[in-house]
Amino acid sequence: MKRPLLALAIFFSFGIILASLISLPFGWIYFCALILFILSALFLKKELLFKLLICGLAFVTGIILLCNAQVIPKSDIVNFVPLNNNSLSCVIQGVINSEPDFKDNKTFFVLKAEKAWVKNRKANCSGNLLVYIKGRPRLVYGEELILKGELRRIVASNKKQGYSNYLSNQNIYSVFAVKEKHHVIMIKKNQAPKIMLLASGLKAKIKRIISLNIIPAQASILKAMILGEKSAIPQQIYNSMVKTGTVHILVVSGFNVGIVAFILNLFLKLIRLPRRLRFVIATLCLILYCLVTGASNPVLRATIMAVVFMWGFLIEREPDQHNALALAMLFILVINPKQLFDIGFQLSFASVFSIIFLYPKLKALLRLESLKLRFLRNLASGCLVSFSCWIGTMGLVACYFRLFTPITVLANLFIVPLATLITLCGFSLIFAYFFLPAFSPYFSQSAEMAVMLLFCVNSFLVKLPWAYFNLASN
Amino acid sequence: MFSLTRQEKGVILFLLAMALAGSGISFLRKKYSRVETVIECGINTWKVDLNKADKEMLMGVPGIGEKIASRIIEYRSEKGAFKDMEELRSIKGVSAYRFEKIKESLSVK
Repeated sequence: MKRPLLALAIFFSFGIILASLISLPFGWIYFCALILFILSALFLKKELLFKLLICGLAFVTGIILLCNAQVIPKSDIVNFVPLNNNSLSCVIQGVINSEPDFKDNKTFFVLKAEKAWVKNRKANCSGNLLVYIKGRPRLVYGEELILKGELRRIVASNKKQGYSNYLSNQNIYSVFAVKEKHHVIMIKKNQAPKIMLLASGLKAKIKRIISLNIIPAQASILKAMILGEKSAIPQQIYNSMVKTGTVHILVVSGFNVGIVAFILNLFLKLIRLPRRLRFVIATLCLILYCLVTGASNPVLRATIMAVVFMWGFLIEREPDQHNALALAMLFILVINPKQLFDIGFQLSFASVFSIIFLYPKLKALLRLESLKLRFLRNLASGCLVSFSCWIGTMGLVACYFRLFTPITVLANLFIVPLATLITLCGFSLIFAYFFLPAFSPYFSQSAEMAVMLLFCVNSFLVKLPWAYFNLASN
Repeated sequence: MFSLTRQEKGVILFLLAMALAGSGISFLRKKYSRVETVIECGINTWKVDLNKADKEMLMGVPGIGEKIASRIIEYRSEKGAFKDMEELRSIKGVSAYRFEKIKESLSVK
């Protein structure tokens, strides 16, 4: 079995964990890495020695990458806030770096800072900051703005998964509050890369289609499932889905990417495109979908795995799930090693890891193949996948959310097929709106009904005895 | 655990070398980065200059739409530069309410 990436990903992650626990001198570690690299190159022909050296090198590279990620440059906007004073009144120029969102009468987005006016001087600066603006000004991703407001340093939280830690993992160390709408001036449009602007435009268009065709509560669920836009979901529904352990369907994950890949392949097969061209188009569409949904960790993981699988078939090599998963992990961690401590990353990888490791073992143990009735076999397989996933993520859910949710295994059996139906209806609605508008009401009504059913099933399950246990109150 | 061909070993070494080189350069750039002061100025320079701004920049001010931005440009080309912010009131569409709303984001130099 050839799984080199799995071993490298594990050693790389251990390096990151070690660097997060103790402070290590960058220079010395870098020197060790150089020595290991030279030795690995020298012992290229020695099988065992090379493997040990390369694993050591991956471990040290993990340490180096995290040490580097923890350094905040002097030009970062957070360094403009004096250490003895937690806030600073200033003017900042920068480009909107995330889709502006609206909640609790505030618009918020990430701004990539470029210039700052502080104490009668204008200086170049860098880094991302989270901007809050009172009200709802019309802002779009990629616009260059000048803002006047209060800059604050984010104070680290003691909680393992506090919001400040989440922001720090995204390399955001400061918050900028703009109190008046007229303290925002847009100076240029379309300052982001073209592909990102295309993705942002497409997202806005899809949001508009969903809002036009579906009633608000149901639309909020569909937007979450298709675009990963969770801000409009009623809190009560969200909490109820956390308790049944089915909240994973409200974020765009591997499940959604799988559905998109399936629909694309089916459609391209129907129009009889050659296999090679089909895979190229599907790959490009999946990358675009990944960008539309904000390239969160689960989507990025699923997109990389899907692309590896498709291209594996294309070059006639048997794709290996473990290697594909490890490649996705390395890809995300090399870009930002701090993601290892992100709850979305941990849940996403833990669930897939348990499905590809635990599920086959349980299946063999329970001898599912010996079941003669196909329906029973499929049902048992579904239960086992859900169970494996639950086992894999149970510890993390208990640790971060303080919940123990035995209902999850049963809930997923009903909720996942419903979520598949809703997602299919959602994508069909979008395609129909563009190509066959007369058909769109059928899909929108089906989607509304399926979401309604999902609410009912979920509220029934959450009320069952011993459905969930709140560990915080016990 | 795993076996690798000579080419695969080469590729892995190359990728690790790139990661090491990249992080080394990035670390040095961060460590020795400086805050470059572009200009010494007053804080009000962030406002949009009514006499220099183009149409797009004027439209970036909350309360100024495409029509009013065009009228400001027309006014400037017909009557010359604005001497006073109060001159804005003579432009069609700039009501007392709108003037109060936009004046904080504009300056006349």
